[in-house]
Amino acid sequence: MIRLLKANQLITAGGLIVLLIFVVAVFAPLLAPYPADAGSATHPENALLAPSLTHLFGTDQVGRDVFSRVLYGARISPVIALVVLLLACAAGVPLGVAAGYFGGAADEVIMRVTDVFLAFPSLLLALAFVAVLPASLTVVTIAIAITWWPWYARLIRGQAASVAGRPYVEACRALGIPRWRILLRHVLPNSVTPLIVQVSLDAGGVILTISALSFLGLGAQDPVPEWGLMVAEGENYFTTGWWLVTFPGLAILITALAFNLLGDGLRDALDPRRLPAR
Amino acid sequence: MKLQIRDLQVRFGEQLAASATALDVDAGEIVGLAGESGSGKSMTIQAVLGLAGTAGATVTGSIKLDGVELTGMSAAELRAIRGRRIAAIFQSPGLAFNPVFRVGAIVTRALRQHGLSAAEARDRAAAAMRSVLLPPELLHRYPAQLSGGQLQRVAIALALALRADVLLADEPTSALDVTVQAEVLEVLRELRDSRGMAILFVSHDLAVIAELCDRVAVMRAGEVVEQGVTREVIAAPRHEYTRELLAAVPKLDG
Amino acid sequence: MAEEAVLPPGGRPPGDPPKQTLLTVRELRVNFGPVRAVDGVSLTVSDGPFGIGLVGESGSGKTTIGRAILRLVPAAGGEILFDGQDVPGLRGRRLREYRRAVQIVFQDADNSLDPRMRIGAAIGEVLTTHGLARGAVSDRVAALLAEVGLDAAFAARHPHQLSGGQRQRVAIARALAVSPRLLVLDEPTSALDVTAQARVLAIVRRLRAERKLSYLLITHNLAIVAELCEQTAVLYLGRVAETGPTASLLTAPAHPYTLALRSAVPEIDPARRRSRIILPGGAPNAAAHPPGCAFHPRCPLAVGACRVLVPELRAVAPGRLAACHRAEEVLAGLRPSAAPAQLSGEPGL
Repeated sequence: MIRLLKANQLITAGGLIVLLIFVVAVFAPLLAPYPADAGSATHPENALLAPSLTHLFGTDQVGRDVFSRVLYGARISPVIALVVLLLACAAGVPLGVAAGYFGGAADEVIMRVTDVFLAFPSLLLALAFVAVLPASLTVVTIAIAITWWPWYARLIRGQAASVAGRPYVEACRALGIPRWRILLRHVLPNSVTPLIVQVSLDAGGVILTISALSFLGLGAQDPVPEWGLMVAEGENYFTTGWWLVTFPGLAILITALAFNLLGDGLRDALDPRRLPAR
Repeated sequence: MKLQIRDLQVRFGEQLAASATALDVDAGEIVGLAGESGSGKSMTIQAVLGLAGTAGATVTGSIKLDGVELTGMSAAELRAIRGRRIAAIFQSPGLAFNPVFRVGAIVTRALRQHGLSAAEARDRAAAAMRSVLLPPELLHRYPAQLSGGQLQRVAIALALALRADVLLADEPTSALDVTVQAEVLEVLRELRDSRGMAILFVSHDLAVIAELCDRVAVMRAGEVVEQGVTREVIAAPRHEYTRELLAAVPKLDG
Repeated sequence: MAEEAVLPPGGRPPGDPPKQTLLTVRELRVNFGPVRAVDGVSLTVSDGPFGIGLVGESGSGKTTIGRAILRLVPAAGGEILFDGQDVPGLRGRRLREYRRAVQIVFQDADNSLDPRMRIGAAIGEVLTTHGLARGAVSDRVAALLAEVGLDAAFAARHPHQLSGGQRQRVAIARALAVSPRLLVLDEPTSALDVTAQARVLAIVRRLRAERKLSYLLITHNLAIVAELCEQTAVLYLGRVAETGPTASLLTAPAHPYTLALRSAVPEIDPARRRSRIILPGGAPNAAAHPPGCAFHPRCPLAVGACRVLVPELRAVAPGRLAACHRAEEVLAGLRPSAAPAQLSGEPGL
């Protein structure tokens, strides 16, 4: 009983915040008082103004309204995170299910491939990409997706292997149900639960990684209002303009937290031990 | 009367899980609790062991061991009784033994817990193994190296070594092959005859109960619907449910 | 049970046309690594209505035989012929046709249905896979559920909302969806309460009559085969110990293992109880077959030859085959002496 409520609270809290972020992202042009500031507009005469009623979060070193930029940032980091996770799932899920269900040689090959990719820290990979391509969010997206998919492949492989051995899958084979259908209608739905939870939990982590890479200059470039980049740029002005770092930083924190809460809540709610009994 | 149960009621909130107005097990007799799943027979065993509370149930009524009231005892008092005076074996013997320990280690630890010295524990364990007709050397094995039937007998040996007076057996042979089951049942009969143990035997298999138990109580949906000497209950069942159960048992013709 | 006898005593009544053979298994071998799960088993299943029981305990290989027949595990040797066709060699369309003709109901009722699928969808899936038009599905599902005594409303439920007995009946309905000629029932009632078991067995009995079904009933429970199967094969450690018409096999066994098995079955009626033959040692280890006769370490009637020579399955009476050097003696009434049971924990598993 208590766990059910707690799980719901987590999902509710996390869900509400995520929804809020989504709304902000969609309506940023309407909500931001200085939309141009999220682009290439600069107002050097207004540089480094403290938070006030006209500039809720103050202005940055070239006079841009931080509040507007933070709002527009909501269009970037979470969206990139979702793209990364989608790419990672698109690569990881089919390979993981195949490895788990078929076992044997397919499993071996796929697992060794994941081993190779797991060896790359996203940072190094992003650096390698930047060496040949200009730094941008695209580069960062691809770099993170490439390092992320093997985790999902492994996760779902374990589940798929377990499901593949269950009597109902064997029954399907005995009944002549074609393999593709067994994989799609039986193995996949029964393997995917831990993945859903993991993806929600990872969303926060991916956002942090994007921000970190942007902070290091490998991802978003000025004037893109990516939160991590804003923190990086504001670092130099920390003593004179604390608001440059704090507000984007808080945005990252809240977003990551929201996804974590959502993931935690989902994990509790989807716990198979809590399936309603007869 | 070794074990005397009166007006027992085990409830989960409003739901009655198990009840027994009067159920006795005397020394040197095997009493069967027959019923299907959900009848409350396992819950009755849990109540006697004082474990029903941990499952979240409320227990009312009286359970007396040699005249001493068990319900309402403190956790410490119950721990002293469990194993030492009342022993239990369950359906999956493998679950009773921690797989990372040799079975002998588990047995001797239980004995030492109840006050024996290391040497005494070893001797008693060996003697008990012989009583269930297993070579004491098997104590050196890990649970995974013993078959279901052997593990079940080790569990019984533990009860013997502790000199328990009462043995509660919850479907101890349901997971065993029928020929292995025959062996375990034989051991239980030995315990009744030569050691005078009081045994409460729970099973859904009426045929086993018919063969093994001196008296039987038939449970259904948490209540005892019929009780009596096994031979009589089977020959002339008074309750309709008992008749239904008996009719459902497939018979081996010839 | 006070039901009219489904089975004519001792086999089919004289005058009935001889049954066609539906399935022949010859010297089947199945290995799982070093474990010889099935070590040379031969049996025949006739066209329906017909029932053959496969009786044995752990390690007997009975479940594996069922799986091999369904092509769920590969055969390492021997033949399986259905309607004359080689089963292990079937491919593509012929394999699909085979999967319509032969079906299986598993022991584990709890797990043989996808927990995320509604009952109706699970059965419907089988129907559409084998070509039934989508529109006709729900009617057929309702009809199948009715055949196993379940209301059509069950189609909307999920497995966890059903009792064990109901789930098993759904599994039977699903197997029947393809209108099989041969049904393999793998311990169909072991996990069920005695009343649910009675219901399921009654359904099998009815289906046998209505659909002229042929079934291979795999079980450790001799009482069930006595009620449903006219032929029985007793298995031990991957080999056939003996086989023959059920009634005669149970009244006059020709193998010591059958004697022990029969004596071990608990009997409600005290008048039918016989003295127990206690077999020393536990279930046999399928990875390490003893030399000679696989049963000799536990056999109360073993002699020197048993330790060395593997007994062949041979005819010991009309219609009766047994793999024992002393089969004729056992058939004639040889019984172990009534010495007090020497229970022992044998060395090894």
